[in-house]
Amino acid sequence: MKRLKPLLWAGIGLFLLLLAVPGPVLAAETSCLQCHGAQSGRFGEPVPLWRQSIHAANGISCHNCHGGDPTVMSMDAMSPERGFRGVPAKTDIPDFCGRCHIGVKEDYLQSAHGKALGKGGPQCVTCHSNHKVVAASPALINPQSCTRCHDYGRAADIKAAVTSTDQMIGGISDDLAGLHHLGIDVKEMQGKLFSLRNEFHRLFHEVDAEKVRQQTADFQQRLGQIRQQVTVIQERLDQRKLVGGGVIALLVLAGVLAALIRKNYHEEERAGE
Amino acid sequence: MSWHKRVIDWVELRLGIRDILAQNLTEYLLPRNTNVWYTLGAVLLTLFALQFLTGILLLVHYVPDSNEAFKSVNRIMNEIPFGWLIRYLHVVGSNMIVIALLLHMFSVLFMKSYYRPREVTWLSGFGLFNLGLALCLTGYLLPWSQLSFWATTVATDAAGAVPVVGDQLVRFLRGGPMVSDTTLGRFFALHVMGLPLLFGLLVGLHLFCVRRAGISSPPFGSDYRLWEPKDRFRHQHHPGGIPFFPNYATKDTAVICFFLAALLTVVIFAPTIFIPPDALEPANPFTTPAHIKPEWYFLWAYQTLKIFPSKFLGLAAQGALMTFLALLPFIDRGPERRPAQRPIFVTCYVLGVLILIGLSIWGHYS
Repeated sequence: MKRLKPLLWAGIGLFLLLLAVPGPVLAAETSCLQCHGAQSGRFGEPVPLWRQSIHAANGISCHNCHGGDPTVMSMDAMSPERGFRGVPAKTDIPDFCGRCHIGVKEDYLQSAHGKALGKGGPQCVTCHSNHKVVAASPALINPQSCTRCHDYGRAADIKAAVTSTDQMIGGISDDLAGLHHLGIDVKEMQGKLFSLRNEFHRLFHEVDAEKVRQQTADFQQRLGQIRQQVTVIQERLDQRKLVGGGVIALLVLAGVLAALIRKNYHEEERAGE
Repeated sequence: MSWHKRVIDWVELRLGIRDILAQNLTEYLLPRNTNVWYTLGAVLLTLFALQFLTGILLLVHYVPDSNEAFKSVNRIMNEIPFGWLIRYLHVVGSNMIVIALLLHMFSVLFMKSYYRPREVTWLSGFGLFNLGLALCLTGYLLPWSQLSFWATTVATDAAGAVPVVGDQLVRFLRGGPMVSDTTLGRFFALHVMGLPLLFGLLVGLHLFCVRRAGISSPPFGSDYRLWEPKDRFRHQHHPGGIPFFPNYATKDTAVICFFLAALLTVVIFAPTIFIPPDALEPANPFTTPAHIKPEWYFLWAYQTLKIFPSKFLGLAAQGALMTFLALLPFIDRGPERRPAQRPIFVTCYVLGVLILIGLSIWGHYS
């Protein structure tokens, strides 16, 4: 027993030391998500919808639109003193969303859609949905959606005019995201593309097919400049892969050679036994 | 007489270097049945050297300041010639080291190479394993990305579960109530100076123990003999063994080349395996990313904390396991080393490895 005592103390000491080595835990969510996420029915519905939205993907949470204090874990989080705005009336929705999407709101209000606001015309959530907010894209222009209010003909014209440019934007955006994931600084190009995309998407909201057609060539030329920069970087990466692949092949070859020499020694050792 | 022979003769006359080289290379004999697992020590030394070298090169351009750290890493990746290669070698290299450390530790466990008189060798190796993980943890914060910031926040937060001194411990680790510039400063100092210094000393002790006690024979085949000094220290010689140089060194070289090839393959073709998207955004203390997960080698610990009803119990279970592993040579004292003759140990070993892998996969998908 006497011999075990130092061992026991060493064990306790080491145990306490290892306790100090921290392990990670889960990060907490906002009070809105925690309370509403635990509820069923209409109060709980927004949370799973929001999680699938473009807002969630970009870190825009409940309080960014509805106000309130997401750090308070009580009903007080939704008090007007803490900036809570609640749910807007239908006719107030363009102003509600337009606090961030300023340019889009202006274009929308000038369009036929905006002029019909309060008279049965669509507002933001009619096409983009609420909570499960969908990003602007030609996919939103479709017969199911548009024929709820009017004939699809003019909408189809606009969709045809914007599709190729939008695909170009999507392609460059994916490539930039890939480069960004590799640690390449594409912030400036992403900024330019973001601004171009917003400018282009503003055209959607004017619902003017002729204007879209007129401006497409200019957008495509500006997008081409970004595409060219992306191509230069991609070529440089391909070169890295080529040279790197050569070095890897040399290392494998060196490994195989060393293993063969070892095999030779091994045979000599066995012969000498 | 050629010039290099004259240089060697000059050094030989003053330091007797030929004797040292002969004793440690050509006349240093290893067991004939030494297997490929024995090369992991050399692999680890090579990877440590690479970390040291790339770490010094990164230090030239890295700025340990919360306003500059992310920008300086970005500059290394995009503006410094071959900066991307140096950083990726450092990041991927740290993960390769953990893989090699785990393989080394598991092979030593399986072959019971920790058995008397090699308890100190095991303890120093186990210390190196933990220091390696501590280096990974401290290095994680340095890029000052979203991942760095929040992973360090949750990791240091767990120390708060320790009864009585929990809060003080968290403040001590962070240098304040929150992860901040102070945390970055102390993690930087630990990562580039404190821990490597300790690590270097422990590597020295580990190598000294290995060389002093002699290499243990693998417990396989007809060559296996029980070897145990009873009353006084004895170096384990291997008469009739193979010379370390050149015979065994070729095997070391082959495995080192294959490891370096694997490292470079990840660096060139798939560096993002070890770099999640949150690691590419600058730290923002006001935006918590949706899912912060620790590195793959901490996932088992992360899941353990979630399984237990309280964080303290989870930490206690981890502490108990690590303590058990550290003290294994003092607990498992039977002379038998052959796995086939130790069915209970082998069962626990296999179950332990499976549980570790299972918990990590669970932690990844939870």
